[in-house]
Amino acid sequence: MSFDFALAWDSLPALLNGAWMTVLITASVMAVGAVLGFGMCLVRMSRNRVLAAIGAAYVAVFRGAPSIVLLYLVYAGLPQLSVVRETPLWILFASPLFCAILGLGLNHSAYVVEILRGGLSAVPPGPVEAALALGLSPRLVFLKVRLPIAVRYGLKAYQNEALIFLKSTVAVGAVTIADLTGAANEIFSMTYDPFTPLVTAGVMYWLLTNGLRLALETLDRRLNRHLAVGVPDRRPATARQADPGAALFRRLRRSPAKPAE
Amino acid sequence: MGLALPTDPGLDARLRRRAAIEMRGLRKRYGEQEVLRGVTLTVERGEKIVLCGPSGSGKSTLIRCINGLERHDGGTIAVNGVDLDADGRGVQDVRREVGMVFQHFNLFPHMTILENCTFALRHALGLSVAKAAERAMHHLARVRIADQAGKYPAQLSGGQQQRVAIARALCMDPKIMLFDEPTSALDPEMVAEVLQVMEELAAQGMTMLCVTHEMGFARHVADRCVFLDHGEIVEQADAERFFAAPESERLRAFLNQMLH
Repeated sequence: MSFDFALAWDSLPALLNGAWMTVLITASVMAVGAVLGFGMCLVRMSRNRVLAAIGAAYVAVFRGAPSIVLLYLVYAGLPQLSVVRETPLWILFASPLFCAILGLGLNHSAYVVEILRGGLSAVPPGPVEAALALGLSPRLVFLKVRLPIAVRYGLKAYQNEALIFLKSTVAVGAVTIADLTGAANEIFSMTYDPFTPLVTAGVMYWLLTNGLRLALETLDRRLNRHLAVGVPDRRPATARQADPGAALFRRLRRSPAKPAE
Repeated sequence: MGLALPTDPGLDARLRRRAAIEMRGLRKRYGEQEVLRGVTLTVERGEKIVLCGPSGSGKSTLIRCINGLERHDGGTIAVNGVDLDADGRGVQDVRREVGMVFQHFNLFPHMTILENCTFALRHALGLSVAKAAERAMHHLARVRIADQAGKYPAQLSGGQQQRVAIARALCMDPKIMLFDEPTSALDPEMVAEVLQVMEELAAQGMTMLCVTHEMGFARHVADRCVFLDHGEIVEQADAERFFAAPESERLRAFLNQMLH
Protein backbone atom coordinates (compact mmCIF):
# COMPACT_ATOMS: atom_id res chain seq x y z
CA MET A 1 0.00 0.00 0.00
CA SER A 2 1.59 3.23 -1.10
CA PHE A 3 0.50 6.70 -2.11
CA ASP A 4 0.39 6.99 -5.91
CA PHE A 5 1.19 10.61 -6.74
CA ALA A 6 0.48 10.17 -10.44
CA LEU A 7 -2.99 8.78 -9.66
CA ALA A 8 -3.64 11.58 -7.16
CA TRP A 9 -2.72 14.15 -9.81
CA ASP A 10 -4.89 12.48 -12.44
CA SER A 11 -7.89 12.23 -10.11
CA LEU A 12 -7.66 15.86 -8.99
CA PRO A 13 -10.30 17.20 -11.43
CA ALA A 14 -12.84 14.57 -10.36
CA LEU A 15 -12.10 15.12 -6.67
CA LEU A 16 -12.31 18.89 -7.04
CA ASN A 17 -15.67 18.46 -8.71
CA GLY A 18 -16.81 16.44 -5.71
CA ALA A 19 -15.31 18.99 -3.31
CA TRP A 20 -17.23 21.73 -5.09
CA MET A 21 -20.46 19.78 -4.50
CA THR A 22 -19.54 19.44 -0.79
CA VAL A 23 -18.92 23.20 -0.56
CA LEU A 24 -22.16 24.00 -2.37
CA ILE A 25 -24.21 21.77 -0.07
CA THR A 26 -22.46 23.03 3.05
CA ALA A 27 -23.03 26.69 2.14
CA SER A 28 -26.67 26.10 1.18
CA VAL A 29 -27.39 24.15 4.36
CA MET A 30 -25.76 26.86 6.48
CA ALA A 31 -28.02 29.44 4.83
CA VAL A 32 -31.11 27.25 5.31
CA GLY A 33 -30.01 26.56 8.89
CA ALA A 34 -29.63 30.27 9.66
CA VAL A 35 -33.09 31.18 8.32
CA LEU A 36 -34.98 28.11 9.62
CA GLY A 37 -33.00 28.13 12.87
CA PHE A 38 -33.77 31.77 13.60
CA GLY A 39 -37.45 31.37 12.76
CA MET A 40 -37.89 28.17 14.74
CA CYS A 41 -35.95 29.65 17.66
CA LEU A 42 -38.55 32.43 17.91
CA VAL A 43 -41.28 29.76 17.76
CA ARG A 44 -39.46 27.65 20.38
CA MET A 45 -39.15 30.66 22.74
CA SER A 46 -42.68 31.92 22.13
CA ARG A 47 -44.79 32.73 25.16
CA ASN A 48 -47.63 30.94 23.39
CA ARG A 49 -47.52 27.40 24.79
CA VAL A 50 -48.74 25.73 21.62
CA LEU A 51 -46.07 27.44 19.52
CA ALA A 52 -43.37 26.66 22.10
CA ALA A 53 -44.42 23.00 22.06
CA ILE A 54 -44.23 22.93 18.26
CA GLY A 55 -40.73 24.42 18.48
CA ALA A 56 -39.67 21.86 21.09
CA ALA A 57 -41.02 19.02 18.95
CA TYR A 58 -39.17 20.37 15.90
CA VAL A 59 -35.89 20.31 17.81
CA ALA A 60 -36.58 16.89 19.35
CA VAL A 61 -37.39 15.29 15.98
CA PHE A 62 -34.77 16.86 13.73
CA ARG A 63 -31.95 16.86 16.22
CA GLY A 64 -32.79 13.33 17.26
CA ALA A 65 -32.93 11.79 13.78
CA PRO A 66 -29.67 10.77 12.08
CA SER A 67 -29.14 12.94 9.02
CA ILE A 68 -28.97 9.91 6.73
CA VAL A 69 -32.45 8.83 7.89
CA LEU A 70 -33.77 12.35 7.21
CA LEU A 71 -32.21 12.25 3.74
CA TYR A 72 -33.91 8.94 2.92
CA LEU A 73 -37.21 10.21 4.28
CA VAL A 74 -37.12 13.40 2.24
CA TYR A 75 -35.82 11.78 -0.95
CA ALA A 76 -37.64 8.44 -0.92
CA GLY A 77 -40.35 8.87 1.69
CA LEU A 78 -42.08 12.18 0.87
CA PRO A 79 -42.63 11.38 -2.85
CA GLN A 80 -44.85 8.50 -1.65
CA LEU A 81 -47.38 11.20 -0.78
CA SER A 82 -49.51 12.25 -3.72
CA VAL A 83 -49.38 15.90 -2.59
CA VAL A 84 -45.69 15.82 -3.29
CA ARG A 85 -45.73 13.63 -6.38
CA GLU A 86 -48.69 15.10 -8.23
CA THR A 87 -48.19 18.83 -7.62
CA PRO A 88 -45.53 21.34 -8.68
CA LEU A 89 -43.70 20.35 -5.48
CA TRP A 90 -42.47 17.36 -7.46
CA ILE A 91 -40.16 19.65 -9.44
CA LEU A 92 -38.31 20.31 -6.20
CA PHE A 93 -38.48 16.85 -4.67
CA ALA A 94 -37.33 15.13 -7.85
CA SER A 95 -33.99 16.88 -7.42
CA PRO A 96 -31.54 14.98 -5.21
CA LEU A 97 -29.70 18.23 -4.49
CA PHE A 98 -32.86 19.91 -3.18
CA CYS A 99 -33.64 16.86 -1.02
CA ALA A 100 -30.09 16.78 0.33
CA ILE A 101 -30.17 20.48 1.28
CA LEU A 102 -33.60 20.16 2.87
CA GLY A 103 -32.79 16.97 4.78
CA LEU A 104 -29.47 18.24 6.15
CA GLY A 105 -30.96 21.72 6.66
CA LEU A 106 -33.69 20.36 8.93
CA ASN A 107 -31.08 18.56 11.02
CA HIS A 108 -28.62 21.49 11.12
CA SER A 109 -31.33 24.10 11.87
CA ALA A 110 -32.46 22.14 14.93
CA TYR A 111 -28.95 22.58 16.36
CA VAL A 112 -28.97 26.26 15.40
CA VAL A 113 -32.25 26.70 17.31
CA GLU A 114 -30.67 25.39 20.50
CA ILE A 115 -27.40 27.33 20.07
CA LEU A 116 -29.29 30.58 19.49
CA ARG A 117 -31.70 29.86 22.33
CA GLY A 118 -28.76 29.29 24.66
CA GLY A 119 -27.22 32.57 23.55
CA LEU A 120 -30.47 34.50 23.97
CA SER A 121 -31.05 33.13 27.48
CA ALA A 122 -27.51 34.06 28.46
CA VAL A 123 -27.87 37.75 27.53
CA PRO A 124 -27.87 39.67 30.82
CA PRO A 125 -31.04 41.68 31.49
CA GLY A 126 -29.11 44.91 32.13
CA PRO A 127 -28.42 46.20 28.59
CA VAL A 128 -31.91 45.16 27.50
CA GLU A 129 -33.49 47.13 30.34
CA ALA A 130 -31.26 50.11 29.59
CA ALA A 131 -32.44 50.10 25.97
CA LEU A 132 -36.09 49.84 27.02
CA ALA A 133 -35.61 52.67 29.50
CA LEU A 134 -34.34 54.85 26.62
CA GLY A 135 -37.75 54.48 25.01
CA LEU A 136 -36.80 52.02 22.24
CA SER A 137 -39.48 49.63 21.08
CA PRO A 138 -39.21 46.03 22.34
CA ARG A 139 -38.79 44.78 18.74
CA LEU A 140 -35.85 47.10 18.15
CA VAL A 141 -34.32 46.19 21.50
CA PHE A 142 -34.49 42.53 20.51
CA LEU A 143 -32.98 43.05 17.06
CA LYS A 144 -30.28 45.56 17.98
CA VAL A 145 -29.29 44.63 21.53
CA ARG A 146 -30.40 41.17 22.61
CA LEU A 147 -29.88 39.31 19.33
CA PRO A 148 -26.41 40.74 18.51
CA ILE A 149 -25.17 39.88 22.00
CA ALA A 150 -26.73 36.39 21.79
CA VAL A 151 -25.09 35.73 18.40
CA ARG A 152 -21.72 36.61 19.89
CA TYR A 153 -22.33 34.20 22.77
CA GLY A 154 -23.44 31.43 20.42
CA LEU A 155 -20.73 31.76 17.80
CA LYS A 156 -18.23 29.36 19.39
CA ALA A 157 -20.85 26.64 19.82
CA TYR A 158 -21.98 27.28 16.25
CA GLN A 159 -18.43 26.85 14.99
CA ASN A 160 -18.37 23.37 16.53
CA GLU A 161 -21.68 22.46 14.97
CA ALA A 162 -20.68 23.81 11.55
CA LEU A 163 -17.46 21.77 11.46
CA ILE A 164 -19.20 18.56 12.54
CA PHE A 165 -21.95 19.14 10.03
CA LEU A 166 -19.55 19.84 7.15
CA LYS A 167 -18.12 16.35 7.63
CA SER A 168 -21.56 14.83 7.98
CA THR A 169 -22.38 15.97 4.43
CA VAL A 170 -20.85 12.65 3.30
CA ALA A 171 -24.35 11.27 3.94
CA VAL A 172 -25.59 12.88 0.70
CA GLY A 173 -24.17 9.85 -1.12
CA ALA A 174 -27.35 8.12 0.08
CA VAL A 175 -29.42 10.26 -2.29
CA THR A 176 -27.16 9.67 -5.31
CA ILE A 177 -25.16 12.91 -5.05
CA ALA A 178 -21.47 12.63 -5.94
CA ASP A 179 -19.74 14.75 -3.31
CA LEU A 180 -16.06 14.62 -2.36
CA THR A 181 -16.35 11.21 -0.68
CA GLY A 182 -18.45 9.93 -3.58
CA ALA A 183 -15.81 11.01 -6.07
CA ALA A 184 -13.06 9.33 -4.03
CA ASN A 185 -15.08 6.11 -3.84
CA GLU A 186 -15.65 6.20 -7.58
CA ILE A 187 -11.91 6.40 -8.21
CA PHE A 188 -11.32 3.61 -5.68
CA SER A 189 -13.74 1.28 -7.48
CA MET A 190 -12.16 2.06 -10.85
CA THR A 191 -8.51 1.64 -9.77
CA TYR A 192 -8.77 -0.75 -6.79
CA ASP A 193 -6.48 1.69 -4.97
CA PRO A 194 -8.34 2.70 -1.78
CA PHE A 195 -5.44 4.57 -0.29
CA THR A 196 -4.58 7.33 -2.77
CA PRO A 197 -8.05 8.80 -3.55
CA LEU A 198 -9.28 8.60 0.06
CA VAL A 199 -6.14 10.20 1.50
CA THR A 200 -6.36 12.96 -1.12
CA ALA A 201 -10.02 13.46 -0.27
CA GLY A 202 -9.10 13.46 3.42
CA VAL A 203 -6.60 16.26 2.83
CA MET A 204 -9.29 18.22 0.97
CA TYR A 205 -11.74 17.74 3.86
CA TRP A 206 -9.04 18.95 6.21
CA LEU A 207 -8.55 22.08 4.08
CA LEU A 208 -12.30 22.69 3.92
CA THR A 209 -12.94 22.30 7.66
CA ASN A 210 -9.97 24.47 8.55
CA GLY A 211 -10.94 27.08 5.99
CA LEU A 212 -14.39 27.20 7.57
CA ARG A 213 -12.84 27.32 11.03
CA LEU A 214 -10.60 30.24 10.11
CA ALA A 215 -13.53 32.09 8.53
CA LEU A 216 -15.69 31.63 11.64
CA GLU A 217 -12.81 32.58 13.93
CA THR A 218 -12.25 35.75 11.92
CA LEU A 219 -15.93 36.58 12.23
CA ASP A 220 -15.76 35.84 15.96
CA ARG A 221 -12.73 38.11 16.41
CA ARG A 222 -14.39 40.85 14.42
CA LEU A 223 -17.70 40.67 16.32
CA ASN A 224 -15.95 40.40 19.68
CA ARG A 225 -13.33 43.08 19.07
CA HIS A 226 -14.84 44.94 22.04
CA LEU A 227 -13.41 42.14 24.22
CA ALA A 228 -10.03 41.87 22.46
CA VAL A 229 -7.18 40.47 24.54
CA GLY A 230 -5.02 43.54 24.00
CA VAL A 231 -7.64 45.69 25.67
CA PRO A 232 -6.63 46.47 29.26
CA ASP A 233 -9.25 45.28 31.72
CA ARG A 234 -9.99 48.30 33.86
CA ARG A 235 -13.38 47.26 35.11
CA PRO A 236 -13.79 47.17 38.89
CA ALA A 237 -12.39 44.09 40.58
CA THR A 238 -15.92 42.88 41.33
CA ALA A 239 -16.74 42.68 37.64
CA ARG A 240 -13.58 40.83 36.66
CA GLN A 241 -13.51 37.08 36.50
CA ALA A 242 -10.80 35.47 38.53
CA ASP A 243 -8.37 33.33 36.61
CA PRO A 244 -8.49 30.04 38.54
CA GLY A 245 -5.37 28.74 36.83
CA ALA A 246 -3.27 31.72 37.86
CA ALA A 247 -4.57 31.58 41.43
CA LEU A 248 -3.67 27.91 41.67
CA PHE A 249 -0.24 28.63 40.25
CA ARG A 250 0.39 31.38 42.83
CA ARG A 251 -0.77 29.14 45.66
CA LEU A 252 1.48 26.32 44.54
CA ARG A 253 4.43 28.67 44.35
CA ARG A 254 3.82 29.89 47.87
CA SER A 255 3.62 26.37 49.30
CA PRO A 256 5.23 23.95 46.86
CA ALA A 257 4.10 20.36 47.11
CA LYS A 258 6.53 18.20 49.00
CA PRO A 259 8.58 15.95 46.74
CA ALA A 260 7.77 12.28 47.12
CA GLU A 261 10.31 10.46 49.22
CA MET B 1 -42.28 65.31 58.19
CA GLY B 2 -41.55 66.89 54.85
CA LEU B 3 -44.61 67.34 52.72
CA ALA B 4 -48.03 67.25 54.26
CA LEU B 5 -50.53 65.50 52.02
CA PRO B 6 -52.88 68.01 50.40
CA THR B 7 -56.36 67.79 51.76
CA ASP B 8 -58.43 70.29 49.79
CA PRO B 9 -59.04 69.40 46.11
CA GLY B 10 -57.94 72.81 44.79
CA LEU B 11 -54.48 72.44 46.26
CA ASP B 12 -54.40 68.89 44.97
CA ALA B 13 -55.03 70.06 41.41
CA ARG B 14 -52.35 72.75 41.61
CA LEU B 15 -49.83 70.23 42.96
CA ARG B 16 -50.70 67.80 40.20
CA ARG B 17 -49.87 70.42 37.62
CA ARG B 18 -46.49 71.11 39.17
CA ALA B 19 -45.49 67.60 40.08
CA ALA B 20 -42.85 65.78 38.02
CA ILE B 21 -43.75 62.43 39.50
CA GLU B 22 -46.81 61.64 41.52
CA MET B 23 -47.29 58.25 43.10
CA ARG B 24 -50.35 57.36 45.13
CA GLY B 25 -50.83 54.17 47.10
CA LEU B 26 -48.34 52.33 44.92
CA ARG B 27 -48.39 48.57 45.40
CA LYS B 28 -46.22 45.83 43.95
CA ARG B 29 -45.94 42.18 44.81
CA TYR B 30 -43.75 39.35 43.62
CA GLY B 31 -45.87 36.27 44.22
CA GLU B 32 -46.54 36.09 47.94
CA GLN B 33 -44.12 38.84 48.84
CA GLU B 34 -45.40 42.38 48.94
CA VAL B 35 -42.52 44.69 48.00
CA LEU B 36 -44.35 48.01 47.91
CA ARG B 37 -47.20 48.49 50.33
CA GLY B 38 -48.97 51.64 49.38
CA VAL B 39 -46.27 54.24 48.68
CA THR B 40 -47.40 57.82 48.18
CA LEU B 41 -44.71 60.22 47.05
CA THR B 42 -44.73 63.42 45.03
CA VAL B 43 -41.60 64.70 43.33
CA GLU B 44 -41.88 68.29 42.24
CA ARG B 45 -40.20 69.80 39.20
CA GLY B 46 -36.56 70.51 39.90
CA GLU B 47 -36.65 68.65 43.18
CA LYS B 48 -33.81 66.33 44.15
CA ILE B 49 -34.80 63.40 46.30
CA VAL B 50 -32.56 60.79 47.86
CA LEU B 51 -34.22 57.49 48.56
CA CYS B 52 -32.59 55.16 51.03
CA GLY B 53 -33.38 52.13 53.08
CA PRO B 54 -32.14 48.66 53.95
CA SER B 55 -31.65 46.14 51.17
CA GLY B 56 -34.93 44.58 50.18
CA SER B 57 -36.91 47.61 51.29
CA GLY B 58 -38.27 48.21 47.78
CA LYS B 59 -36.19 51.24 46.69
CA SER B 60 -35.14 49.81 43.35
CA THR B 61 -38.59 48.42 42.66
CA LEU B 62 -40.06 51.84 43.40
CA ILE B 63 -37.96 53.70 40.87
CA ARG B 64 -38.24 50.91 38.31
CA CYS B 65 -42.01 51.29 38.49
CA ILE B 66 -41.68 54.92 37.43
CA ASN B 67 -40.43 54.07 33.92
CA GLY B 68 -42.35 50.84 33.64
CA LEU B 69 -39.43 48.40 33.98
CA GLU B 70 -41.66 46.90 36.66
CA ARG B 71 -45.44 46.94 36.42
CA HIS B 72 -47.18 48.08 39.57
CA ASP B 73 -50.14 46.08 40.88
CA GLY B 74 -52.05 48.88 42.56
CA GLY B 75 -52.15 52.63 43.03
CA THR B 76 -51.32 55.26 40.43
CA ILE B 77 -48.21 56.84 38.92
CA ALA B 78 -48.25 59.98 36.84
CA VAL B 79 -45.06 61.32 35.27
CA ASN B 80 -45.28 64.90 34.02
CA GLY B 81 -49.02 64.42 33.87
CA VAL B 82 -48.86 61.18 31.86
CA ASP B 83 -50.59 58.33 33.64
CA LEU B 84 -48.78 55.02 33.69
CA ASP B 85 -51.41 52.39 34.20
CA ALA B 86 -50.78 48.88 35.41
CA ASP B 87 -51.25 47.24 32.01
CA GLY B 88 -48.40 49.28 30.54
CA ARG B 89 -50.16 52.01 28.55
CA GLY B 90 -48.34 55.31 28.54
CA VAL B 91 -45.05 53.61 29.20
CA GLN B 92 -43.40 54.68 25.94
CA ASP B 93 -44.37 58.33 26.54
CA VAL B 94 -43.04 58.21 30.06
CA ARG B 95 -39.74 56.65 29.02
CA ARG B 96 -39.07 59.58 26.69
CA GLU B 97 -39.32 61.94 29.67
CA VAL B 98 -37.34 59.90 32.15
CA GLY B 99 -33.65 58.96 32.01
CA MET B 100 -32.30 56.11 34.08
CA VAL B 101 -28.86 55.22 35.40
CA PHE B 102 -28.27 51.71 36.73
CA GLN B 103 -26.03 50.23 39.38
CA HIS B 104 -24.16 48.09 36.83
CA PHE B 105 -24.00 50.79 34.11
CA ASN B 106 -25.68 48.48 31.56
CA LEU B 107 -23.87 49.93 28.58
CA PHE B 108 -24.30 48.04 25.31
CA PRO B 109 -21.09 45.98 25.29
CA HIS B 110 -20.92 45.54 21.51
CA MET B 111 -21.18 49.25 20.71
CA THR B 112 -18.57 51.97 21.08
CA ILE B 113 -19.09 54.73 23.61
CA LEU B 114 -20.36 57.04 20.86
CA GLU B 115 -22.70 54.34 19.48
CA ASN B 116 -24.04 53.74 22.98
CA CYS B 117 -25.10 57.37 23.06
CA THR B 118 -26.35 57.70 19.46
CA PHE B 119 -28.28 54.41 19.41
CA ALA B 120 -31.53 55.71 20.89
CA LEU B 121 -31.16 59.10 19.20
CA ARG B 122 -31.12 57.41 15.82
CA HIS B 123 -33.64 54.65 16.40
CA ALA B 124 -36.09 56.22 18.84
CA LEU B 125 -35.89 59.86 17.77
CA GLY B 126 -34.91 59.24 14.13
CA LEU B 127 -31.99 61.68 14.09
CA SER B 128 -29.44 61.51 11.28
CA VAL B 129 -26.04 59.99 12.00
CA ALA B 130 -24.36 63.39 12.03
CA LYS B 131 -26.99 65.08 14.21
CA ALA B 132 -26.97 62.17 16.66
CA ALA B 133 -23.18 62.17 16.89
CA GLU B 134 -23.13 65.92 17.47
CA ARG B 135 -25.61 65.70 20.32
CA ALA B 136 -23.85 62.65 21.80
CA MET B 137 -20.46 64.38 21.75
CA HIS B 138 -21.97 67.40 23.50
CA HIS B 139 -23.18 65.25 26.39
CA LEU B 140 -20.02 63.14 26.48
CA ALA B 141 -18.07 66.38 26.84
CA ARG B 142 -20.43 67.38 29.62
CA VAL B 143 -19.37 64.30 31.62
CA ARG B 144 -15.74 64.83 30.52
CA ILE B 145 -15.33 61.62 28.58
CA ALA B 146 -15.50 62.83 24.96
CA ASP B 147 -11.92 61.69 24.33
CA GLN B 148 -12.96 58.06 24.85
CA ALA B 149 -15.82 58.13 22.33
CA GLY B 150 -14.25 55.56 20.01
CA LYS B 151 -13.58 52.95 22.69
CA TYR B 152 -15.72 50.05 23.85
CA PRO B 153 -17.23 49.90 27.35
CA ALA B 154 -14.91 47.06 28.43
CA GLN B 155 -11.95 49.39 27.82
CA LEU B 156 -13.15 51.93 30.39
CA SER B 157 -13.03 51.97 34.17
CA GLY B 158 -16.23 51.64 36.16
CA GLY B 159 -16.39 55.34 36.91
CA GLN B 160 -15.92 56.19 33.25
CA GLN B 161 -18.58 53.68 32.22
CA GLN B 162 -21.04 55.16 34.67
CA ARG B 163 -20.38 58.67 33.36
CA VAL B 164 -21.04 57.37 29.83
CA ALA B 165 -24.29 55.85 31.10
CA ILE B 166 -25.28 59.27 32.46
CA ALA B 167 -24.40 60.93 29.14
CA ARG B 168 -26.39 58.27 27.26
CA ALA B 169 -29.46 59.09 29.33
CA LEU B 170 -28.94 62.87 28.99
CA CYS B 171 -28.81 62.59 25.19
CA MET B 172 -32.57 61.98 25.20
CA ASP B 173 -33.16 65.33 26.95
CA PRO B 174 -35.02 63.79 29.88
CA LYS B 175 -37.01 65.99 32.24
CA ILE B 176 -36.38 63.61 35.12
CA MET B 177 -33.40 61.43 35.98
CA LEU B 178 -33.62 58.24 38.03
CA PHE B 179 -30.48 56.84 39.63
CA ASP B 180 -30.51 53.29 41.00
CA GLU B 181 -27.49 53.00 43.32
CA PRO B 182 -25.19 54.57 40.71
CA THR B 183 -22.03 54.29 42.80
CA SER B 184 -22.57 50.95 44.56
CA ALA B 185 -20.66 48.88 41.99
CA LEU B 186 -17.70 51.25 41.82
CA ASP B 187 -14.27 50.99 43.38
CA PRO B 188 -14.05 53.63 46.12
CA GLU B 189 -11.67 55.90 44.20
CA MET B 190 -14.15 56.19 41.35
CA VAL B 191 -17.18 57.20 43.37
CA ALA B 192 -16.23 60.86 43.49
CA GLU B 193 -16.07 61.41 39.71
CA VAL B 194 -19.59 60.03 39.29
CA LEU B 195 -21.01 61.99 42.24
CA GLN B 196 -19.47 65.16 40.87
CA VAL B 197 -21.26 64.72 37.55
CA MET B 198 -24.50 64.09 39.43
CA GLU B 199 -23.98 67.22 41.53
CA GLU B 200 -23.40 69.30 38.41
CA LEU B 201 -26.59 67.91 36.96
CA ALA B 202 -28.45 68.84 40.13
CA ALA B 203 -27.03 72.36 40.01
CA GLN B 204 -28.40 72.73 36.48
CA GLY B 205 -31.90 72.15 37.80
CA MET B 206 -32.58 68.54 36.79
CA THR B 207 -35.34 66.74 38.65
CA MET B 208 -33.61 63.79 40.29
CA LEU B 209 -34.68 60.74 42.23
CA CYS B 210 -31.64 58.88 43.52
CA VAL B 211 -31.42 55.62 45.35
CA THR B 212 -28.09 56.00 47.11
CA HIS B 213 -26.37 55.60 50.44
CA GLU B 214 -23.88 58.39 49.75
CA MET B 215 -24.59 60.64 52.69
CA GLY B 216 -22.29 63.40 51.53
CA PHE B 217 -24.22 63.58 48.28
CA ALA B 218 -27.52 63.58 50.18
CA ARG B 219 -26.34 66.47 52.37
CA HIS B 220 -25.05 68.55 49.45
CA VAL B 221 -27.74 67.95 46.94
CA ALA B 222 -30.96 66.46 48.27
CA ASP B 223 -33.96 68.69 48.94
CA ARG B 224 -35.53 65.78 50.70
CA CYS B 225 -34.42 62.38 51.96
CA VAL B 226 -36.93 59.57 52.00
CA PHE B 227 -36.50 56.45 54.11
CA LEU B 228 -38.16 53.32 52.81
CA ASP B 229 -38.49 50.14 54.87
CA HIS B 230 -40.55 47.02 54.17
CA GLY B 231 -42.20 48.69 51.21
CA GLU B 232 -43.42 51.76 53.06
CA ILE B 233 -42.18 55.30 53.48
CA VAL B 234 -41.27 55.46 57.14
CA GLU B 235 -39.85 58.97 57.31
CA GLN B 236 -38.96 61.88 55.08
CA ALA B 237 -37.18 65.10 55.90
CA ASP B 238 -34.58 67.51 54.59
CA ALA B 239 -31.08 66.06 54.67
CA GLU B 240 -29.93 67.88 57.80
CA ARG B 241 -32.83 66.74 59.96
CA PHE B 242 -32.88 63.32 58.33
CA PHE B 243 -29.36 62.44 59.43
CA ALA B 244 -29.06 64.52 62.62
CA ALA B 245 -32.48 64.07 64.18
CA PRO B 246 -34.26 61.01 62.83
CA GLU B 247 -37.67 60.62 64.42
CA SER B 248 -38.46 56.97 63.86
CA GLU B 249 -36.74 54.09 65.58
CA ARG B 250 -36.31 52.23 62.28
CA LEU B 251 -34.44 55.11 60.62
CA ARG B 252 -32.25 55.55 63.71
CA ALA B 253 -31.35 51.86 63.60
CA PHE B 254 -30.64 52.05 59.85
CA LEU B 255 -28.41 55.12 60.18
CA ASN B 256 -26.54 53.49 63.03
CA GLN B 257 -25.79 50.48 60.86
CA MET B 258 -24.69 52.71 57.99
CA LEU B 259 -22.25 54.63 60.15
CA HIS B 260 -20.65 51.64 61.79
